[in-house]
Amino acid sequence: MVARKSSRKSKARKTAKKTKPAKKTSKTQARKTPAKASKTSPDANKAMRLTFSYDGDDIKLVSQQRTDMILPPSDTVKGYGSYKGFWAEVRSGSDKTLYRTVMHNPTKNDAEVFPESPDGEISREPAPKRKGVFVVLVPDTGKGDDVILCRSATETKGPASGLHSLAGKPAKEILRLKLKK
Amino acid sequence: MGTSDGQVLGVTKIVDAGPPEKRWNIVIVSEGYRSDEMAQFATDAKQFADTLLAAPPFDRLRAAINIFRVDVTSTESGAKDPKKCNGTGAKPRTYFDASFCANGIRRLLIGNNGRVTKVVGKLVPQWHMAFLAVNSPVSGGSGGPVATFSKSTAGVEIAIHELGHTAFGLADEYEYYGGCSSDKGHDKHSKTEPSQPNITTNKDRATTKWRDLIQATTPVPTTSNANCKNCDPQPSPVAVGTIGLFEGADYFHCGVYRPEFDCRMRNINRPFCAVCQQVIVKKLTPFLPV
Repeated sequence: MVARKSSRKSKARKTAKKTKPAKKTSKTQARKTPAKASKTSPDANKAMRLTFSYDGDDIKLVSQQRTDMILPPSDTVKGYGSYKGFWAEVRSGSDKTLYRTVMHNPTKNDAEVFPESPDGEISREPAPKRKGVFVVLVPDTGKGDDVILCRSATETKGPASGLHSLAGKPAKEILRLKLKK
Repeated sequence: MGTSDGQVLGVTKIVDAGPPEKRWNIVIVSEGYRSDEMAQFATDAKQFADTLLAAPPFDRLRAAINIFRVDVTSTESGAKDPKKCNGTGAKPRTYFDASFCANGIRRLLIGNNGRVTKVVGKLVPQWHMAFLAVNSPVSGGSGGPVATFSKSTAGVEIAIHELGHTAFGLADEYEYYGGCSSDKGHDKHSKTEPSQPNITTNKDRATTKWRDLIQATTPVPTTSNANCKNCDPQPSPVAVGTIGLFEGADYFHCGVYRPEFDCRMRNINRPFCAVCQQVIVKKLTPFLPV
């Protein structure tokens, strides 16, 4: 199973390539707390488990699996147009965000290194060419058409060059796929 | 090598809060335990569960959380520990092929996460968070879809920090990258607001993310770094637990703020700060019995 191009969004990509920016909003909206759970929570105990593989910047959908389970509530669906980071969204047929889950970028090309002792310092080291899998859980309510992943692009110069952890630009849509009906 | 080097024995619910369809489900999977060491894994998994459920805010969310133990045997004990990272050179045959020295980093311990998620998906289809418990005394771990930890003294603390990332989208709150003494180019965070709930570039008391938790008497910013070329050396000027805006987080010395002076997302072996706890509680409240 692979990510499919949306017929409505001709620029959608299967893999992590430059596409359109996440929706922009006013500064006021963007500053509202993203941690606050919105009222847009899953309205049924049904979820879709999306498993992705990644190899460097290349991301592919591996599987979509329906499961009867509760999901955590959505992060606020408004704002984020100017935010950096990594998140997944469920979008309606009219491209309205129905559910958002902010994630610690699962496709990082560096790694957290832990101390020998619990009292030591955590640090990070570049770890290029990482590959692996990650999982995104989204509500399976029938209202969502697409799932998108958004991620900040990396810097191209300086010490932060190429490192997702240090990316300082607003996130853009990097992948769009159709939710299985 | 791989699945020919062991066997999936089965799953045991070690913390039962209710049906998995209605609760938040954690799964702990064994790696590098021989069949005659499975009793030890049961003990280790229980110790992990006890530690996690004693850590705030999980201590008040027990009714929302199931914990499962998945017993997987390996032909040999431990994890690979390559010599190229000054390890012992051990190459035990294990089911998930866990190895230190991933990407050439000594304490980066990773198993085959795709294999782990397949096993977990078959046995606990409603899983939310998976851990791979590696039977090695060497310190190491990693995050991602499967939080991996060893039996070192820091192991469980590493796992709970990674839980903060994977399950709740929390950011790192430390203000350096490789280390305060070695960092270059980490002086100033970009002005772009991070999506994570526990860091911000917004120092406006009225609009910042955790504004509801900042008392009127707390100065904002609560700390400012006088020299952005280095980590801020000053001790906290306010009482432990004070919520404010402390400069330095997200791998940068300046221009980004964390909610408390210290937190589990800044240093392991610390409790989660109040903002991180609030995020976790909001995310897990729907899993509490009605």
